[in-house]
Amino acid sequence: MISRRALEFATAVLTGSFGIAVVVQSLDNGIGWSSAGVDSGTFPFLTGIIIVLGSLYNLVRGVVPVASLANVPVAITPIELRRIAGLFVPAAIFVAAIPLIGMYLASAGYIFAVLAIPRHQSVPRALAMALATAIGLYVVFERMFQVSLPHGALATALGF
Amino acid sequence: MDNLGELLHGFAIAVTVPHLALMVVGVLLGILVGVLPGLGAPNGVSLLLPLTFGMQPVSAIILLSSMYWGALFGGSVTSILFNIPGEPSSVATTFDGYPMARDGRPTTALATAFGSAAFGALIGVILITFLASWVAQVALAFGPAEYFAVYFLAFASFVGMGGAAPIKTVVALAIGFAIAAIGIDTVSGSVRLTMGVDELVKGVNFVVAVMGLFGIGELLVAVEEEFHARAVSSKIDWREVFRAVGRLPRHSVALLRSAAIGCWMGITPGGPTAASFMSYGIARRFSRRGRYFGTGEVEGIISPETADHAAGTSALLPMLSLGIPGSATAAVMMGGLMIWGLNPGPMLFVDQKDFVWGLIASMYVGNIVAVVLVLLTVPVFAALMRIPFVIIAPLIVIICVVGAYSVSNSYLDVVMMLGFGVVGYLFKKLFYPLAPLVLAIVIGDKAEDAFRQSMLMSKGSLGIFFANKLVTCLIVGGIALLLLPLVLQLARLFRKPAPPTNETIAQEKVII
Repeated sequence: MISRRALEFATAVLTGSFGIAVVVQSLDNGIGWSSAGVDSGTFPFLTGIIIVLGSLYNLVRGVVPVASLANVPVAITPIELRRIAGLFVPAAIFVAAIPLIGMYLASAGYIFAVLAIPRHQSVPRALAMALATAIGLYVVFERMFQVSLPHGALATALGF
Repeated sequence: MDNLGELLHGFAIAVTVPHLALMVVGVLLGILVGVLPGLGAPNGVSLLLPLTFGMQPVSAIILLSSMYWGALFGGSVTSILFNIPGEPSSVATTFDGYPMARDGRPTTALATAFGSAAFGALIGVILITFLASWVAQVALAFGPAEYFAVYFLAFASFVGMGGAAPIKTVVALAIGFAIAAIGIDTVSGSVRLTMGVDELVKGVNFVVAVMGLFGIGELLVAVEEEFHARAVSSKIDWREVFRAVGRLPRHSVALLRSAAIGCWMGITPGGPTAASFMSYGIARRFSRRGRYFGTGEVEGIISPETADHAAGTSALLPMLSLGIPGSATAAVMMGGLMIWGLNPGPMLFVDQKDFVWGLIASMYVGNIVAVVLVLLTVPVFAALMRIPFVIIAPLIVIICVVGAYSVSNSYLDVVMMLGFGVVGYLFKKLFYPLAPLVLAIVIGDKAEDAFRQSMLMSKGSLGIFFANKLVTCLIVGGIALLLLPLVLQLARLFRKPAPPTNETIAQEKVII
């Protein structure tokens, strides 16, 4: 179970660290006024400062309980978390597999895995849908719109 | 009357067989993304964007804008028939649309919704027809300082009127600006904010952000609650369609009021979602039958639908005449304009008359095409909703991945898209608004350039923002909007807090 408070905290820390990174990076470009006008780091520097300050405010507001209607204590229940993971983890594996085995194999494998492994569909039907996805992608992108999708290291090794 | 002549010329461009065909394709694709949860108008338009690079700009914008109309209509279909809003802007339609459909009057609900939506869109287009070229003419005299002031006003109005927590809006906006700054600086040519990743020199494309924030993010929110599509009958009784549309003039007050709210929220970047909620809330307060709202009231459908479409349409007015999009989808379209080599803003009305008036004329035709098509295809798309979510979700993931990749054939974009998906989920969950983030990514560079050019002109003095009446008004207006939430909060301290209503909770959930 993840509480609303923890989620607010994590998000504020995330935005805040992005802000700090922006501030630090923009210092390299120089902030302030030079012969060429406003230095290129100035604008990002200011936005970075705003992000950091805003995140601090959100952090405090999110952690200190306020009697607001949006402050439901539980943000994500364990069941919801499992469902989210069930969608996100396979998607992340799919994306990670693309450079290796290419978009077509990866997407076919992805469709097959998410349909057949939790037994949402029978194996033959999942297989058919996986094949249809890969072929559909090939026809629409490679043929109709001439957009080359990544073929992956495997295809290169095999000489495609 | 110049405008009418130009408009007729526009019709000559828009009403040709290839363009009508593009409208049909666009509207159908739009209804599809509108119906599917997890895909919305911003994603749909970004997905189509790479496919329009080879087209004439006017054909491309007709395709994209038709898709936008289709998505607006498609969102209402699922709201009414399934109680599942396909688009955030059609959440308010579920309040009365679904109860009416459940009571055995789905045709009445749908026809009322589409009829009032078409009316809202019509008012929006008429507004654009007569106002856009005038605004553009005024804006032709703008210098960098005026431009920065207009941008400032636009961003401030998000904070003041967007409806989300003001500081969260500010953070979302600032993150958008920072993301826009990544890559090569257009003024000095130096490389900024690449965090040591060389590939980031090309910057972060807004399409990648939209795919992740709206696509993956929305999918993650949708998968949380296992939804079952409990459909009411989706058969259309054509005689009832005409009867329901015929009854609309009786509610002309609600129609006009909602259209006015919608146009206002569309031009100032409040967006369609805020517009539909505001219109519903006001209608409930002022209607004689206000206490029956939520049980299937006609005006409860008319008000959010009219405002939604009026806002969606009029969001294109500031995009065309000032180069400031009034909604997330308009921001994506404006990104498209820049990719096609057009410069959004007042010069369009001078240099690209065919483009502008072709687009405006196509809005009239496109909305008619959309109403007809959506009525004809309701049963088809309703059937689509019966496909289990477990099958649709991975397909949408693949669409987002391919969409992000095809922007610039970069694998890094795909990884970033997934990252934006997580951010989108967190932001949606915690009511950070997403529209200002996207808007800032698209026009952040332009706002920064305007600021730096004004600073160059004034040799570093902020006095340039108070140099004449117009600039001063815009800047003061912007500051006032920024301070508005603070003032309201102070005012609330002196009053007893009002009990929250269901609708404000629902609104908090969908502010994007």
